[in-house]
Amino acid sequence: MPAMTMIPDLDIPGSQSTPIIRSDWAAGRLTMQGDSYPENSYDLFDQVIAWVQRFLSDEQRPLALELSLVYLNTSSVKAMMDIFDLLEEAHERGRPVAVTWHYDPRNERIAELAEEFKEDCSYPFAITPAKVNA
Amino acid sequence: MDLLSMRESYQRERVMLCFNGPISRSLIEEIGKALRNYLDTQQTAPAAAMDVFAAYIEMTQNIRHYARRQGYNDEQAAATVVVSQDDQGRYQVSAGNLVETPDGERLVTTIEGLEALDKAELKAAYKRQLRQPRDEASPSGAGLGLLDIARKSSQPMRASLQPLSAQQSFFSLTATI
Repeated sequence: MPAMTMIPDLDIPGSQSTPIIRSDWAAGRLTMQGDSYPENSYDLFDQVIAWVQRFLSDEQRPLALELSLVYLNTSSVKAMMDIFDLLEEAHERGRPVAVTWHYDPRNERIAELAEEFKEDCSYPFAITPAKVNA
Repeated sequence: MDLLSMRESYQRERVMLCFNGPISRSLIEEIGKALRNYLDTQQTAPAAAMDVFAAYIEMTQNIRHYARRQGYNDEQAAATVVVSQDDQGRYQVSAGNLVETPDGERLVTTIEGLEALDKAELKAAYKRQLRQPRDEASPSGAGLGLLDIARKSSQPMRASLQPLSAQQSFFSLTATI
């Protein structure tokens, strides 16, 4: 029986150009919210990709992504696509995975961005308008 | 320094924001924040404001990536960035920088090649580029960003190259959102 090794959960505070990123291994959940336009997105996303890979290989439980991402530069789009591809591979092996992307209905660009990701995914990918208080 | 003539020229050209000089990562963020605030006060539709911001980010980050790959010093890595409105009120994002002339010629050819593509073809090209391995960037290294700007533009992008020396030129790019 392999030794249990814990991978630490992510708790990355957001900045002007980077999203808040939190993972919850116990709940099988990864959340990201805010803008993402760092110059080198993989400096930020490599650790997220590593967490997702590890969760999908070490656990058999479902994984859910809860996203409230707003603007992504092309570098971040590429990194997110890598994450969605990992989910697609897991889904093809029969693993339950799901994405929910919450967007502000006042800005149709966010839903369009989410739709383009969804086109390449065959697992449940919900794009839902968030409640607006304004 | 004739500030009045600069001011009058900015007003004539409907310049909302301009910058000239070495551009750092934090400066890109600060100018970007000012741009977003300005667009917000102008009651710009959120989608249009995001397209303008996206064009600004992709252009300036392309310039930073290029200058870093070339090992340019601060002075060589300077960028000229202008956000303005055309006579029909459409937003224009322009950026210029020093490039090695053969790189600039390749860029201009790439951008002129995008002119023939409709929105569906641009989307297909964008998705293809997105699937390229991350270490195999196009020779200019700017492919994905340019495709993204082209997709957000209402007019074909305009690019030009003006010689500065035997080897180097000033590359200018304008996108109309």
